[in-house]
Amino acid sequence: MNKFTDRVGLGWRADLAAGIFSNLDRIDLLEVIADDFFNAPRREVRALQTLASQVSVVLHGVGMGLASSAPVEAKRLEKMGQLVEQVRPQFWSEHLAFVRGGGLEIGHLAAPPRTVDTVEGAAKNMSRATAIVSSKPIMENIATLIDPPGSTLSESAWISGILASSDCDLLLDLHNVYANSLNHGYDPKAFLRQIPAARFRAIHIAGGKFISAPDGSQRLLDDHLHDVPDPVFDLLEEAAALSPNSLTVILERDGAYPSMDCLLAQMELARQALARGRARRAVAEEVLV
Amino acid sequence: MSGRAFEAFLTRIYVDAAACARFRANPRAEARSAGLSEEECTALENTDWVGLEMAARSFAHKRGLKRKKHLRTSFRNTLRSLFATFSARFRRN
Repeated sequence: MNKFTDRVGLGWRADLAAGIFSNLDRIDLLEVIADDFFNAPRREVRALQTLASQVSVVLHGVGMGLASSAPVEAKRLEKMGQLVEQVRPQFWSEHLAFVRGGGLEIGHLAAPPRTVDTVEGAAKNMSRATAIVSSKPIMENIATLIDPPGSTLSESAWISGILASSDCDLLLDLHNVYANSLNHGYDPKAFLRQIPAARFRAIHIAGGKFISAPDGSQRLLDDHLHDVPDPVFDLLEEAAALSPNSLTVILERDGAYPSMDCLLAQMELARQALARGRARRAVAEEVLV
Repeated sequence: MSGRAFEAFLTRIYVDAAACARFRANPRAEARSAGLSEEECTALENTDWVGLEMAARSFAHKRGLKRKKHLRTSFRNTLRSLFATFSARFRRN
């Protein structure tokens, strides 16, 4: 018997609201972008509270830039703390990314140089975040089109270093792993075995598209505008086989929305991949006993 | 590596097309003029140039989407507050 209580949910998007409310019995939880509510009118926050009273909600931040040598701004953390207090999510998460520097905003998640400095900076920021928000963030690995300049550590060593320096768990984005493995030439399944599976807590799945590079080659862009490709479900099976924890899987879709049936079908594929991985894990545990 | 200065340099070449072009033309000189160490200048000479161009393009696209979203939100909030103001006046009258 499967001893895990894995759950599969969906990223909350206003465009999907009608479909989500019609299918709440097939959606275990919703992930809400926290930054959309930091300066929202009170009635929008009240609407989010009502949503959270009907279905499990997790909050996902996108603008803090915690994986940086620079200290994260307290006001951003205070806003997250206030929203966490109001909504009472099951957990909140952020990215292993930097998003600004020298007074300029990049406008998206950027991979910092993978160095000892940014391992220490990220661990300090995560500790500061835990203190101000009053609960620890779950940290997500990001996709990057550029091999981060100035890096002295591999991606797996860098992530493992951050997890070892903090008590935060990992939000493992499998499409980001897949995209980085194709764009920067590594084996994604080997990558999963190189990072501590005991820290896998939540998982993102999504899709992207190949874009042409100036030299005629192609790289995979993690745009969340396409269906989840099969290799990501294979990685989900692998993660479930490795993880000793119950996992929360979230399907991310940011536009070019397909029918709700199509999204629910992808969530069902995720459940099947989880079941395959858990079955493999159970067999491996029996062999060990 | 001096962390913050290096991240500030990366940010500039990601968002400022002119700075990025100068960097591509002469990486060491541009990095030096930003006050980066010799070790950092050497690291930047080995930049993934194809990735830099694609990442800068992707970041610019994301900033454009954010600007549009910000404008839409501001417009919606303005309409809401105007509506609330006029509704209150109408109720008073």
